[in-house]
Amino acid sequence: MHDRLTQSMRASHLLALLFVLAALGLAALGAATGDTFYLRLGTEALIFAGLALSVDLLLGYSGALSLGQALYFGIGAYVSALTLMKLPSFWLAMGAAFLATLIASVIGGLIANRVRGVYFALITFGLAQVMAKVVYNTRELGASDGMIGIPVIEIGFGPFTVSAGSPVGFFMIVLAVIMGLYALTAYLLDTPFGRVLTALKANEKRVPFLGYSVWRARMAAYVLAGVIAGLSGALYPMLRGFVSPELMFFATSGNAVISVVLGGVGTLIGAIYGSVLLVILKSIIGSWTEHHLIVIGLLFMLCVMFLPKGLVGVVRPAIETWLSRRRLAPVPKAAPASLPAIVAETARTSR
Amino acid sequence: MTPIDYLQFVLAPQVVNGLALGVAVVLVALGLTIIFGMLDVINMSHGEFYAIGAYAALALGAAGIGFWFLLVLVPVLMIPLGMAAERLLIRPVFDTKDRHVTTLLVTFGLGLIVEDVLKIVFGANTQRPPTPIPGATEILGIILPNYRLFLILVGAAIVLGVAFVVYKTRLGAMVRAAAFDRNMAASLGVPVSLVYAGTFAFGVSLAGLAGVLLAPIYSVFPTMGRDFILLAFTVVIVGGMGSIWGAVVAGLLLTQVQALASLVISPVWTDPIVFGTMVAFLVFRPQGLFGRLGHA
Repeated sequence: MHDRLTQSMRASHLLALLFVLAALGLAALGAATGDTFYLRLGTEALIFAGLALSVDLLLGYSGALSLGQALYFGIGAYVSALTLMKLPSFWLAMGAAFLATLIASVIGGLIANRVRGVYFALITFGLAQVMAKVVYNTRELGASDGMIGIPVIEIGFGPFTVSAGSPVGFFMIVLAVIMGLYALTAYLLDTPFGRVLTALKANEKRVPFLGYSVWRARMAAYVLAGVIAGLSGALYPMLRGFVSPELMFFATSGNAVISVVLGGVGTLIGAIYGSVLLVILKSIIGSWTEHHLIVIGLLFMLCVMFLPKGLVGVVRPAIETWLSRRRLAPVPKAAPASLPAIVAETARTSR
Repeated sequence: MTPIDYLQFVLAPQVVNGLALGVAVVLVALGLTIIFGMLDVINMSHGEFYAIGAYAALALGAAGIGFWFLLVLVPVLMIPLGMAAERLLIRPVFDTKDRHVTTLLVTFGLGLIVEDVLKIVFGANTQRPPTPIPGATEILGIILPNYRLFLILVGAAIVLGVAFVVYKTRLGAMVRAAAFDRNMAASLGVPVSLVYAGTFAFGVSLAGLAGVLLAPIYSVFPTMGRDFILLAFTVVIVGGMGSIWGAVVAGLLLTQVQALASLVISPVWTDPIVFGTMVAFLVFRPQGLFGRLGHA
């Protein structure tokens, strides 16, 4: 017997597996045809998928809409770029980006987690805007032009090295990092920590009665999301060789929110599919007209209004049914009720 | 430069410019805060409605309609637009569990579309209608553009008028009653769904009016709403969501911070300073100057 969350996560994992297979297919195709454009575009889509993943962790699991998640993405990108220019090491850049976003998101979380709901959305918006403007005005960081000339690095794994300049090689590395972040997030959401988050979203007032700290859970989710965004951002300068203040601006955060809504809020894998879908849509519509925002905005609105669980919400129930049917005669074992179930139960009985 | 010269030629004009900008921001924030305070809806596309108003003024003005008539015509034209937006976009999601997030997202999508439509129809270039009131007046040796003085006066009149309607008239009482308890108001005979649509349309129409008034000063371009909405949201947050007086006080305060910071420190650092002020405010007083936190 599995509860709903486990069930839906299993379906998500299957979708994740399909995603990885499709990505590997693209990599193989790209390697065979010697294509660089689509592989590079795919790599960029994956990098932004990491940002979308972090938005979904906050919105879909703790119910907090961040309109400024690009802040941590940008910090990760800038710190990674600065590190690479001093010392071209992949691991050092990732480590530095990790540390920097960890510190930044603790500070940001201390500010943003004082408020809820709309205020949270707007303060994250404001925080990102402040930092973006600061970077935009700092000559040492290249000001509005950003920084160019970030060296192409060799990424070492013990005896092997992969060049970030190799489209297939770097695509695989980014795929591994992003799917690793997905797996980590999915794993953490399946632990008691994840159940507290889900319970928070279900009924925030009752969680403290069960002995959990709302603030601590929110903080943990915020910092985790910040670090995920930062690590994804750290990959960006390795791909493009430059960073610019645009990475922190609202458009970047907005795109991540669009990706999450298109893919499906609260599904994790939906964020990744949504991000890829957005890139595909932009390049397809972009080949007809430069006004792709109309189509994307329309799709986005329709999704919010009619498909609150996005694309994944459309396909996942079918997968869930298929998965549960495939499992022959489920072992009748009294599973401990999950925390969200308890919260929902107390909510029902006490009303 | 003597201190008197500094006061006369540098500080005072800057303060008046800040005041004109403050009135402009308050006008945009007013509709935003009314829609939030009465409907409990976040309108992220408010800036785009402001842009629509400005473009309407530009196009109709070019077609030969006078500025004074536009001040009435454009807000009236905005009403059906606002009604339609409320009916098609807000009402279907009004009763979802997380209304704030859902309405924010829907109107964010609407904003994207409007911005691109404006780009298609009017082109991406910056345009500027002629100033309806040319010239400048000298007051106490300070030279002030007439249009800015006019803007300050008209802005004050509009804010007072809106506050009067909302707080002192029967119509305002109906709107506040519908906002406070939808079912109770409905059973007392208040046409609630009309009131909701009307309130949203009123907020949108205020944004359009702000567009007409501000176009001669701040120019007209497709992303003008996005640039302004940041400041307007900041004003609404600092003032307290849904509070008219909060928006006024915060709007005037923050634009003075902006004007003086750009004079004393540097124009490029004004945005971080203004948003830094907002963040500091939220840290120490999350509900804003006149707001109640329970509402959001």
